[in-house]
Amino acid sequence: MKKIVITIFLGFSLGILLIKSQAFSWYRIQEMFHFKSFHMYGLLFSAILTAAVSLVLIKKFNIKSMNGNEIRVKPKKIDWRSNIIGGLVFGLGWSISGACTAPVYILSGMFGVVGFILLFGAILGTLLYAFYHQKKLNS
Amino acid sequence: MNEPLAWYIAGPLIGLLVPALLMLREKQFGISSSYRYWASLINARLDYLNYKRKNDLWQVQFALGILIAGFLYSGFFTPFLDSVVDLKSNGELIGVYDWKNSPQFFMGGVLIGFGSRYANGCTAGHCIMGMSQFSLASIVTTICFFMGGLLGSYLLVPYLF
Repeated sequence: MKKIVITIFLGFSLGILLIKSQAFSWYRIQEMFHFKSFHMYGLLFSAILTAAVSLVLIKKFNIKSMNGNEIRVKPKKIDWRSNIIGGLVFGLGWSISGACTAPVYILSGMFGVVGFILLFGAILGTLLYAFYHQKKLNS
Repeated sequence: MNEPLAWYIAGPLIGLLVPALLMLREKQFGISSSYRYWASLINARLDYLNYKRKNDLWQVQFALGILIAGFLYSGFFTPFLDSVVDLKSNGELIGVYDWKNSPQFFMGGVLIGFGSRYANGCTAGHCIMGMSQFSLASIVTTICFFMGGLLGSYLLVPYLF
């Protein structure tokens, strides 16, 4: 129960930050792709930098988790083909919907219909990938 | 457009969610696996969706928190929250979210869902979590996210909206 509350709270914090910084907005995403403002780039790079420094500190001082376990992070393994194709497909979707995965949930809470259509599309896209994956396995 | 919360405040706070998730939940920052969880509820016969979905349940809870934040700004609580008025009254920020644009948003959603699974992660998992580990996979994927986004934003968006 405590874990669930913590997770929901962290998600809530992310949501508020994405709303307050307007990163959830379709307009901010278009602005970013047209290099009209530094806002989104500053947001992304400062988030990455903070996360990177935190990871270094966790490792250096061997900081343990709340339950006293060692914190281990696993980088994602590279698969050139899927990372490139998947990345391009995701990018197209990102620009059209003006939202990546977290903002999809924000929009669902904020605007109802359009947001849930977006969420439904994303789940369907995942299902579509599962079919594609199955076809690859069977061939 | 209303002034957003400055990037140098919001960005580092978003970044701090990475160690927070690791220390409090021993989880790596990510969101797109929540879609895999939902999809597995629809069809678990496909090998890709026939997995230990319980491992991804935390992302569903994480997503629920994000959705609650969105709901808070839905205008439903306008009498209690000043800041909501700013955001909602600003057509420039929300005008595009008209139900008439549903087909475009649906299409974008399908591409996001398909692409994030194909690439094994999204902007959270690759751009933030992965890049902060300087992982080659995440750097390559992030570059492709941007290339796809540039293509879409210049070549498709002007004709779609």
